[in-house]
Amino acid sequence: MDKIARIDMGAAGGPKVTVGDLGEYAGLGGRAMTSLVVAAEVHPLAHPLGAENKLVISPGMLSGTTGSMTGRLSVGCKSPLTGTIKESNAGGQAAQVLARLGYAAVILEGKPVGDDLYKIIINKDGIQVIVDNSLKLMDNYPLVEKLRGEYGDKVAYMTIGSAGERKLLAASIACTDPELRPTRHCGRGGVGAVMGAKRVKAIIIDDAGMKMRPPKDPEKYRDANRKFVEGLRKHPVTGEGLPAYGTNVLTNVLNEAGGYPTYNFKDGQFPGSAKLSGEAQAQLEIDRGGTATHGCHRGCVIQCSGIYNDKDGHYLTKQPEYETVWSHGGHCGIDDLDTVAMLDFLDDNIGVDTIEMGVTIGVAMDAGVIEFGDKAGAIRLVEEVQQGTPLGRILGSGAAITGKVFGVERVPVVKDQALPAYDPRAVQGIGVTYATTTQGADHTAGYAIATNILKVGGDVDPLKTEGQIELSRNLQIATAAIDSTGMCLFIAFAIMDQPETFQALLDMLGSFHGITMTGDDVVALGKKVLSAERDFNTRAGFTKHHDRLPRFFYNEPVAPHNQTFMMKDEELDEVFNW
Amino acid sequence: MKHTIPEQSAVVPELETRGMHLATGQLKTFFPILQKGVMVPATVGCTLKSLLCDQLAIPTDYVTDRITTIFVNNRPVDDLEGTIIQDGSRVTLSAAMPGLVGATMRRGGYYAALRQGISHIVERGAATSQRGTIRLKLFNLLLAEIGPLILAHGLILEQDELIELLELSPVRAARPAAGSGRVLLTVICNE
Ligand code: SF4
Repeated sequence: MDKIARIDMGAAGGPKVTVGDLGEYAGLGGRAMTSLVVAAEVHPLAHPLGAENKLVISPGMLSGTTGSMTGRLSVGCKSPLTGTIKESNAGGQAAQVLARLGYAAVILEGKPVGDDLYKIIINKDGIQVIVDNSLKLMDNYPLVEKLRGEYGDKVAYMTIGSAGERKLLAASIACTDPELRPTRHCGRGGVGAVMGAKRVKAIIIDDAGMKMRPPKDPEKYRDANRKFVEGLRKHPVTGEGLPAYGTNVLTNVLNEAGGYPTYNFKDGQFPGSAKLSGEAQAQLEIDRGGTATHGCHRGCVIQCSGIYNDKDGHYLTKQPEYETVWSHGGHCGIDDLDTVAMLDFLDDNIGVDTIEMGVTIGVAMDAGVIEFGDKAGAIRLVEEVQQGTPLGRILGSGAAITGKVFGVERVPVVKDQALPAYDPRAVQGIGVTYATTTQGADHTAGYAIATNILKVGGDVDPLKTEGQIELSRNLQIATAAIDSTGMCLFIAFAIMDQPETFQALLDMLGSFHGITMTGDDVVALGKKVLSAERDFNTRAGFTKHHDRLPRFFYNEPVAPHNQTFMMKDEELDEVFNW
Repeated sequence: MKHTIPEQSAVVPELETRGMHLATGQLKTFFPILQKGVMVPATVGCTLKSLLCDQLAIPTDYVTDRITTIFVNNRPVDDLEGTIIQDGSRVTLSAAMPGLVGATMRRGGYYAALRQGISHIVERGAATSQRGTIRLKLFNLLLAEIGPLILAHGLILEQDELIELLELSPVRAARPAAGSGRVLLTVICNE
């Protein structure tokens, strides 16, 4: 990964490709690359859908190697949903393939005049940008099917559906999985709308003729990777729980804890949760001839995903994740996995973030557009988004807009991005991260739970109140660093509990780049990324007053614990005080 | 056969008992009800550890290493010895969970502070031991692993619940007559 491609979509005479060296971005990948480029090069007051915004696509630092779990792809820009800096990442094959072609980043700049739609083909011979108006308003599944006819099955596709083309604020960018289904999405923050604004419908990435990226010390790298994989396999979460049930294994546990937001955050428990659980979902998938264990890219040893078939045993969608099952399920009072799976398919096909879409439907239900629990109604509303009706455009613009249009007071967003599946009144520490992250409410912003072993921020007494602020800060730093490596965040459990697995990860990074990597280096990287993101947001007009949860979390206690969110504003303001 | 729950059970003084044998492969019939929660006879007024290890016969090292997430009455538990089980307590057992919230819910975990306010508070003082019932739920990996122990210990079911279960069960056991009243069902899993 020794080059950056810049594609000026607005160049006179048509899109212009420039390939240059890494310059000041040398050594970066993933979120570190996207955030540092956006912070340095995008005007903080730029309109997110305008020519001044840039869409930065970057594989992780270890993507394209033989290393396991290294297939995350980061996409960054100024978000049209939040107005903040944004990094949104996904699995799928794209990161591995792009990295093997040597690109540390592909940056879409400018904006074409006119209505033409483009596809970009990246292969060993270079980059071509071609007008293809036959793709107009196609959704992801038929779009990829059509492109496969032309470019075959040995490539990776990144695409936007009709939502991205319509520049809806919930629009995602789809990356194909090993079976070439557009199931892995850079979902959060409306990154698909930015790609749509640049009039890019599809990126076809073909690594034919390319080899795996070679490590500086191949033997050490192989050995470290072997130890890393052993560590993942022997840990009960990464070796057993996630492969057996996927992330939806959390439904039962969150419901039991009273932290499962139900009926648009009116309750902390859902009576139908057992029907939506990961345990029920896995059994159903197996009974219908699908699978509950599947990797979203080659080289994943955890395999938290699965294949969800319909009643007749035909493929319907990939295994819906916990956040999706929650947003379209309990949040909307729906207790039927087939309905949730259909909504997951529709979201992937249209190209919208499943969290944003589900939360939005719940807000619309609260407004009385349809009743809570209305399964057919929920499907109908998402189909409105697909059809681009005025109501569909409102819903496809997310929960904050929908709440405003329908006069709903209880709108669960921070910086206009929908909250994920954990009620911050029950799990207060999560609320600290939701409120303060640079990205808008985002569960993965503080997901890298290995802070104890990373020694981020030194040793914290986790049983003290101040611990929550400290822990949130440390989690956000660690996550920013891991998001830069290309590693899937689900490795976090194994590296938290098993020092030798964490050491193996450091050795992978070190031996690949021919350096010695320590925990301190990881922390320094995380802080550098977060500082750049905070600085961008400040210049874009965000202040500490934006680092707050909506007022209803402070005013409305939620059952069964009857708690409100109790963290003080002054405490929240300490999170980034390092 | 009549089975008497000894001493002064506040809940069910006397129960009809039914036994069932099940091949291990058929165990999954019981997963949905174990996941939703079943009523289990127990000597209450004891510690959580005693309930799990002494009464339900779950090996101590399994409890320590594998059952890393426990809720009593919806509150995550950190201290097995300091948690007293009362008549009617709701006890939920899970293996380790993914993600930050999974780590947060973990017993005695590094991130326990993040759930401050809902954690189970240790109760000190003497408790009176008596017969009663608890509501027990098993999640995820524990369903297959300790489900057989719970089934062998016995579940208290309403007659209607039992009939519904037997309808789904691959075992052709004699159906009880529909009616009211509870049954103690013990299930032995054969290899
Ligand atoms: S663990 Fe899940 S999300 Fe992570 S790489 Fe594997 S399949 Fe993808």
